[in-house]
Parts: sequence; structure tokens; C-alpha cells
Amino acid sequence: MSLLHARGPARIDANLTPLIDLAFLLIVFFVLIARMSGEQLPAVALPQPHHAALSPIQSGQRIAVNVTREGDRTVLSLGAQRFAADRAGESALSQALAQRIARDRTIPVDVRADRTLHYSDVQPVLRAVANAASSAGVGPITVRVCALESTPAPAAARAHE
Amino acid sequence: MNNRRAANGARLSLAMTPMIDVVFLLLVFFVCTVRFERREEVYKLDLPVRGTSADPLELQDSPVQLRIGARTGDQCAIEVRADGIVRTATSFDELATLLEQLQRRGNDGLFEPSHPVLVVPAAECEWQDAVDAFNAAVRARYENIGFAQLSA
Repeated sequence: MSLLHARGPARIDANLTPLIDLAFLLIVFFVLIARMSGEQLPAVALPQPHHAALSPIQSGQRIAVNVTREGDRTVLSLGAQRFAADRAGESALSQALAQRIARDRTIPVDVRADRTLHYSDVQPVLRAVANAASSAGVGPITVRVCALESTPAPAAARAHE
Repeated sequence: MNNRRAANGARLSLAMTPMIDVVFLLLVFFVCTVRFERREEVYKLDLPVRGTSADPLELQDSPVQLRIGARTGDQCAIEVRADGIVRTATSFDELATLLEQLQRRGNDGLFEPSHPVLVVPAAECEWQDAVDAFNAAVRARYENIGFAQLSA
């Protein structure tokens, strides 16, 4: 009798281990790709309000205007475009915003400003957005101020609220 | 006899290699997905729309003004002005409570949630404080909040 028959009939088993290996590899791959293809925004030290009552950012297109401090000067940026924080820069930012708003009239504009800046550094950006909306012929436009979510309030504070 | 036992007897052994494979994959997955930084979220802001003609017969509500001063040390001046009322607050939590008290619930309070609220930060006021004041108004459930223009 041959050795093959002595071991009995052949059994078909599903080998799950490499299947799980591959499934996890695919998950990791897609997670990494999703991260890489996401929007690349500059790091901004956003305000962290106490007991923040913020709304989550819905997925979708948005225009992000960044206001950052570089050394002792303030810089405005819209994607790769950078503008000086003066009248000429504000006007150029307004024009660039108007072009983008005209392409998509429902797109929200997010203002991402460094928390240590003065209001006089940030207010020109709000003015530029309002000017851009009116020169693009759009009525009310969705403007949002970005901030960081706060840590969960302690139980006592929540009870007070 | 010994040979038969060796051939037929079941051997229990732990397959370590696939287990280590999967454990490392799980590790890589969690390292890739974990986020320690705080999430970015938003406040919706009301901006004045230029070029719109207001109805001259429409009565405009004078907004509740939240005046925020420049920071001196670890504090900044917080003042609420509305319909001749002037109140001060020592913290943004107190400001939120004050704004809630001013809000109309039933027959009490002065202002509807739809009443406009204007955050008026000083030019030298830090953006963090301006956003904190805005947040206090959102916490008090006002719906129509904006930032004031700086006077030239």
C-alpha cells in the first residue's frame, strides 16, 4: 500500500492565516493612502477655547485661509499662495478668494489663525473674505473660524452647564 | 510499536510565525491610525455682506456687544453692552453665564437667541481671547454672532 493511501483521504482546509495577513496589509495600505491624499494644511497653533462648543468639519471641499506668524511678521496663505499682511496683500488675497468662490459658490471659507496673533492681524482676512464674496457676486457666504476641540469638561463643570 | 505511535499520535504545537505576522500587522495598523493631537473643528461665523441694500423701514436690532480688551498678565477686560446695560465679567465662563441670563426663556430675560451678538475685540486683543468670547456666545446658544470691524 502506498504511503499516500495509508494517511487517508486528502482533506481540503482553508488556510486562514495568509488571508488575514493580506486583509490587514490591504487595510493598512488604504489607510495610509487616504491620509496621504488628504489635504495638506500648514501647521497653525489654533485657538483652544475653554469648554468649546464647536461643530465638526464635514467632509468635502473647503477653502482654508491661514494666518501665521513668521518671526515678527504675519503671513497670509491660501494653498501655496502667500500674501503679505498689508493693504496690497489683503487686496491680492481677496482677488484670489473671489476667483475660487466664483468657481464654487457654496464652498465654505475656513479661517485658520494663530492664537497668539492680535485681532488687528486677523480682522483684515475676515474683511478680505467679505470683499471676495461681494466681488464674486455671491450673497451670504459660509465663513468658519477654526479652533481645536477642548478636552472633555470635568464632571462638576458639566453639571454646572 | 514505537514507530506507529510516532506516526499516528497528534502533536500539539503553536505556530508562532503567523501569530507574530498578525500581531505586527495589528501594531502597524494602530500606529498608523492613532492620533494624539486634538481635532480641528469650526464655528460658523456671520459676516456682513457688502453691497446689499437694507430695508430702510426695517427696525435693526442693536447687537449685544462683547468688548474684549488686550491681555494684561493672564487676564483681559471683558464687558457686555446691550440696550444701556453694561456688565463686566472676570472670565469667559462668567461671560457665558451672563449671556445665558440675558437670553429670553419664557417671560424672563431680554434677548431672543436670534438677537445679534457682536464680538468687539480691541486691536491688540489676542485671537485666542476673541475666539473665547465667540465661544461663550455659542455656549449661551445665540445663533447670530459676528466679529466687529476695527475702527480705522
